[in-house]
Parts: sequence; C-alpha cells; structure tokens
Amino acid sequence: MSELLARIEPTPTVPFAGNGVTVTSAPPMARFSLRARKAADLEKLLGVSVPQKIGTMQSGVMCLGPDEWLMLAPDGTKIADGAGLSLAVTEVSDRNVAILLEGPRAASVLAAGCALDFDHFEVGRATRTIFETVEIIVVREAAERFHVEVWRSFAPWLWTAFVTVAAE
Amino acid sequence: MILIHCPYCDEKRAELEFAYAGQAHIARPLDPSALSDEEWETYLFIRNNPRGRHHERWRHIHGCGRFFNAVRDTVTDKFETTYKAGEPRK
Repeated sequence: MSELLARIEPTPTVPFAGNGVTVTSAPPMARFSLRARKAADLEKLLGVSVPQKIGTMQSGVMCLGPDEWLMLAPDGTKIADGAGLSLAVTEVSDRNVAILLEGPRAASVLAAGCALDFDHFEVGRATRTIFETVEIIVVREAAERFHVEVWRSFAPWLWTAFVTVAAE
Repeated sequence: MILIHCPYCDEKRAELEFAYAGQAHIARPLDPSALSDEEWETYLFIRNNPRGRHHERWRHIHGCGRFFNAVRDTVTDKFETTYKAGEPRK
C-alpha cells in the first residue's frame, strides 16, 4: 500500500547521458511565488536583499517581473506568510519541477527550442522564456549548467524534447 | 524572427514571448452611465485600422508578464518604439 502513496515524478529519476550533455531531474525543492509592489517589503519578510533587476538572481530569489519573484529553497523550507506586509506569498513547490542540463552542449540543447542568446546569457541570470511552446524559467547556474523550471504537466514533454536533442 | 524590446526587462526578446493586446490609449469613460449608446459602442468596439503607424498594447506574457505600449508600422511590421504602460503617447 505504501508504494501506492509514493510520490510520482513526471520525469525519469535516472539521468540521461547524451552527446556532451547530461539531462537530470532535479530533486524536489521548495518554491515560493512572491508578489510585492515594493522589494523592501519582501526584504523585510525574507531578511535578505532581493534582486530588483528583472532577470537576475540572488540568494535563491529570482526577479521575474517588476513585482514578481520566485524563490527556490531546499525541500521542506517554510517561510512566513507575510501577514501585515503588502505582499503575497504562495507556495508553488509542487507546481514546478526542474530539469538540469549539464555539459559542454547544455546551451546548444536549450537553444534548440529557445530563442535566447546563450552566448550573452551570463552565469547567475534567471528569466522566464519559452521553449518551443512550453513556458520555462531558465537559470544559468554555471557556464555549462542550466536549471530549467517547468510546470509539472509539461515536464514529460520537455524531458523528451531535451533527450531527443541531447542524443543527436 | 522579430525581436521586441520590452521596456520592463530592458532587452530585446523574441516575438514568441509576446502577445498582442489591441489598440493602446483607450481610456475607460469615468462615468459610463452618462454615455449614449453610440458613445458606449464607440468605446467598446470602434478601433483605428491605420495603414502605417499604430499605437498598440503588447504583453510580455512569457517573460515579465507586463503590459506595455508599442508603436508598430502595420505595413512593414517594424516596431518603432516601445514604452511602459502609463507613459504618454509617443
């Protein structure tokens, strides 16, 4: 019975080693969607400074829009609900899953379906964009390592697309 | 592929990330009940259809999510400029 209650991941738990790139499902993690008119309110809640330039990331918090941030944290992390502050905190840990692309061909695998210019996409940048028809959030964690956030139901398709390109 | 400059992200991004959202600078009447049917119809449905320069709203839906305004040439499909919502007509 207990195995029926086990968490079912939308993407394989075994990494795919392709030609110059590895595609891996990231372990579960906590995610929070943070909306606020003023970044200062958010900093009061989190106790750390948050990035204010769209497309940048700092201490696990990425700025997606003028009033929108996404925070990634280790699985099980809880944060205050921000009562009394002018902001909205929504836990979206299970809305997204993440796929990691690592290796010298990581950027070219992403570029197969995404129009961003990865030659000028610095390490530490994080932005929402589109891969073919699927909305993703791309974080460049290192020159040859990308963290791709995708909505859970789109993840199997995205995994297949990455693996197909990676195998070429 | 057309690249559109998002005034919020301050960079050029592929047209795929954007959605068209109709003519720009249409102010909602402050007191709709004072309007005649014709005036209300004009507000709701009547739009410009110029050949050339057109002010329109776009949304960076697969990026920062924000609406902004743009001036686009309807003949060449070239974007002349884009600017933040709330800024005066350019």
